Amino acid sequence: MSTLTLTLRAGDLPSARISLMGITPSALAGKSADEVARTNLQAGAQSVALGDLFSISGTAGETLVISGSSGTLDDIGNRLEAGTMIVEGDIGSYGGRRMSGGKLEIKGNAGPYLASRMSDGLITVAGSAGDSVGGIKAGEKFGMTGGQVVVEGSIGARAGDRMRRGLIIARGKFGAHAGSRMMGGTLWTEAGFGAEPGALLRRGTLIGPSVEALLPTFVDGGRHDLVVLGLISQHTKRTLGDLAPKALPKEVRKYSGDMATIGKGELLLFG
Amino acid sequence: MSDVNPNPGDAPKTINGIQIDATFAEAFGMSATGVVITADTPKWAMIAAKTMSGFGTSVIGCGAECGIDCEVPASDTPDGRPGVRVLLFGFSPDAVLPQLKNRVGQCVLTSPGSACYNGVEAKETLKLSTGIRFFGDGYQTAKTLDGRRFWRVPVMDGEFICEDTTGVVTDAVGGGNLLIIGKDRAGLLETTEAAVEAIAKVPDVITPFPGGIVRSGSKVGAKYAGMMASTNNAFCPTLKAFPVSELSEDTIAVLEIVIDGLTSDAVAQAMKAGLKSVIETGAKHDVTRVSAGNYGGKLGQHHYHLLEHLP
Repeated sequence: MSTLTLTLRAGDLPSARISLMGITPSALAGKSADEVARTNLQAGAQSVALGDLFSISGTAGETLVISGSSGTLDDIGNRLEAGTMIVEGDIGSYGGRRMSGGKLEIKGNAGPYLASRMSDGLITVAGSAGDSVGGIKAGEKFGMTGGQVVVEGSIGARAGDRMRRGLIIARGKFGAHAGSRMMGGTLWTEAGFGAEPGALLRRGTLIGPSVEALLPTFVDGGRHDLVVLGLISQHTKRTLGDLAPKALPKEVRKYSGDMATIGKGELLLFG
Repeated sequence: MSDVNPNPGDAPKTINGIQIDATFAEAFGMSATGVVITADTPKWAMIAAKTMSGFGTSVIGCGAECGIDCEVPASDTPDGRPGVRVLLFGFSPDAVLPQLKNRVGQCVLTSPGSACYNGVEAKETLKLSTGIRFFGDGYQTAKTLDGRRFWRVPVMDGEFICEDTTGVVTDAVGGGNLLIIGKDRAGLLETTEAAVEAIAKVPDVITPFPGGIVRSGSKVGAKYAGMMASTNNAFCPTLKAFPVSELSEDTIAVLEIVIDGLTSDAVAQAMKAGLKSVIETGAKHDVTRVSAGNYGGKLGQHHYHLLEHLP
């Protein structure tokens, strides 16, 4: 398995944010180090050669490592289709946006719009993630439509905004308004939801041990022993292995909502 | 399910005092699908599976041939509960689909705590949930996990989970068979039961008749107009006096095992397992001979020669 490593040269950073749009294993596969170095990146309004910012080592192939990354690097893993991207450090906005396959492994924190409009693949974050994970940019119809995101820390506000399918897991908390306008998919926190999750939730599942404040349009349906909990637990165990959260308990308390819409969504609380 | 046996000319072989005829089982290409049924306990998964596979002995009269392939451990089912895999065989995917939907709708949806999942991995799929999910009357929802869509239909004990599609294969085989012949009816039944148990250990096959055994083997057609099949008189012991009889004077009874499999190799493995069991246990129960049913090799695409499937 061939690996290409791009190491950010800290001293050469422009003041503007840098977009790594198009820098994926499949886009770089087969290119020589010189060709990779000549690849243009957008830094604010300027165009910058990749080789001016990064040291390049290894051979382009299935794995791409971005070393020394920082929160000013946007679009890492944007439109990733296959292969593995490993980021040593933090990333900025739009990480894994419109990703349709492969794996994006972030060893630091992620900025906002992680996994926005993602359709398949796996994103892992060792730290925390910003707002609108799996959500949309203004004007878009659907957020995340597939794939899985596992965040070891917490997630910011509005996770899963307009999400349709897929699974977002946080070991920490989800911020306020998680699952807003959601049409499907699953949000699962091991630490709890912030205030008012599920505003205008149509379908979809929010799972966690607690919630800071419920919307008045969520209705307590009492305790339930649901087979789908086993289905979700088995699925995560099979696909995520050690990354999978602890299996869900047999019983949960189910709140149906958002009754301001069609009310086919659910907030499932355990513990 | 068999006709008279043409002898291809080879000599029969005798092992442990049991004659193995130099003939072959003639089987047909079929389509097959399957489901994995889970429930809170193995007992209730099995109840749903048995109910679903009831009245599924022959595709001619029942619309499909159905049976239990195996129990599935909880660790291998989609929801982590104990399961049972049921297979259904029919002439085509179009013929299998209504049988699948009716049986799941009437026998699995109705069974306490049940859920129903894809049971056959194949490129071609059948819409398992169509119709059944509408039982939810608009309250049903779907959960998609790893590209697999599961419908959640509200029912009185919680939710019935039904996967959206299940696989269907068109290169399955139906009609592998063994005719087991003996001098003692009770002993013959015991031997045949043991053979069915041996076949049950082979994956991807079912023996769709009651307890896996047929006592009314048939031939194609009859003297009466409109009868598609009639008794296999050549293997009826009470008709030994007639010239077409293929039974020796001391034969008391004949039992048949019919085998359907997802692949030809699975049927061949099942034939081997059944033959091995009969050869090992039959002599002490006065089993004298094993034969097989065929139609002269002109109707079925798959021929399983007994002498080529000896243990």
